Amino acid sequence: MDDLRILERDVTTQSNKITARGVDVFYGEAHAIKSVDVDILDKTVTAFIGPSGCGKSTFLRCLNRMNDTIDICRVTGDIKLDGENIYDPKVDSVQLRAKVGMVFQKPNPFPKSIYDNVAYGPKIHGLTRNKAELDEVVETSLRKAAIWNEVKDRLNAPGTGLSGGQQQRLCIARAIATSPEVLLMDEPCSALDPIATAQVEELIDELRSQFSVVIVTHSMQQAARVSQRTAFFHLGSLVEYGETGQIFTAPKDPRTESYITGRIG
Amino acid sequence: MTMQNEPHIARAFDRDLEAVQALVLKMGGLVEAALLDAALALESRDDELAARIRAGDKAIDALEEQINTEAARIIALRAPTAGDLRTVLTVMKIAASLERCGDYAKNLAKRSVVLSQMAPIDGSAGAIRRMAKAVQMQLKDALDSLIQRDVELAAHVRQNDAEVDQMYNALFREFLTHMMEDPRHISACMHLHFIAKNIERVGDHATGIAEQVIYLVTGALPDEARPKADMTSTAPATGGQG
Repeated sequence: MDDLRILERDVTTQSNKITARGVDVFYGEAHAIKSVDVDILDKTVTAFIGPSGCGKSTFLRCLNRMNDTIDICRVTGDIKLDGENIYDPKVDSVQLRAKVGMVFQKPNPFPKSIYDNVAYGPKIHGLTRNKAELDEVVETSLRKAAIWNEVKDRLNAPGTGLSGGQQQRLCIARAIATSPEVLLMDEPCSALDPIATAQVEELIDELRSQFSVVIVTHSMQQAARVSQRTAFFHLGSLVEYGETGQIFTAPKDPRTESYITGRIG
Repeated sequence: MTMQNEPHIARAFDRDLEAVQALVLKMGGLVEAALLDAALALESRDDELAARIRAGDKAIDALEEQINTEAARIIALRAPTAGDLRTVLTVMKIAASLERCGDYAKNLAKRSVVLSQMAPIDGSAGAIRRMAKAVQMQLKDALDSLIQRDVELAAHVRQNDAEVDQMYNALFREFLTHMMEDPRHISACMHLHFIAKNIERVGDHATGIAEQVIYLVTGALPDEARPKADMTSTAPATGGQG
């Protein structure tokens, strides 16, 4: 246990950030998520894996009520963030999403300058009192997203002019600028090359000291590399949830085994 | 549990895993034959056979190297997980065990050449051949349990090692008696004792292989203690009739 690398992989906290109980999601008649119970730990990277259409992205989108934007989508069950039901009618979904940030599959910077991309969230949520504070938030966020050195001399250049990997890190900076407590990432590296992927993965590992990160990925190797907890979804059900090392060396459920060893698609 | 019958989507992955396991079986076959032949060479005082066994160890070593290369290739190219990962890890460990068993058989052959120059010790060569046969069966069962992913058979191999230990104990006492009775037998009995000890060690490797199979199938090594009957390390020096 004195091995530093082994210690590093340990989860430092056992406190739950998000608790989901009996969550069902319907798209019209289609039953997309079937009675999912899961506890997402604080300051931990949790990976959702599973074949296409298994419901992992749908479930991720429940965690910050992104599914509210889809008319035919209906969510039942309990999802609590720090013990508070996020589907309570009193909860403002815009405020919720400031606490539970999201990064999408394709980098989607606003057609604005690099600076404005990051400053947008803090501005609309009124998180800063003056320009100096806003400058500071922008710089810290870009630094945390490991892109500051690459963009500090051209903060007024359009965000869309950056490379794909830089754009994705800009989007991460934008997502963390509102000081979220949870960061949801839906396939954040699928449009990136291996170098940019490695940078984003390194970033995810650093972010976990401050946030709880939930990542949906099609790359099982990525899930294995970045996460401490892995949840395997299949046909809308949560099949197995456990410590990442255990899931990848000795999964308990034969369906998990089949999926991660490349036997079912 | 390990879904061995369900093919991978990438069929070449199945072929790679099957190929490396086939190499282990081939290696096991060579080791079993070397062990039996060495015991036969001892009993029949056949120096030519002993020389062939010593030369044959090179093929066993080469197979181990080939298995390690293949396993490294699978890890690098296929990034195996779960049961596949355990298969690759197990195969590498078993290959290392078999290589060691091959060395013991070779050592047995070396000593049999020395022993063929000495006066025979009554009944010893036959007893050693029976022990070698018992250990060879243990090795065979362990490798069968690997191929059939048969945890029960593997557990059986673990339990049976006590019998091999008892055979070794009996030989140990017998050689001790011979040496005490007639000091001229010391040289031969020392060689015979090393031979018996080495065969007993091959038995331990068979047990180790069986334990690897249990890990491969269940994901965890067996934790309950297995019966051990090798008492010679605690036997008093005068325990000739022990």
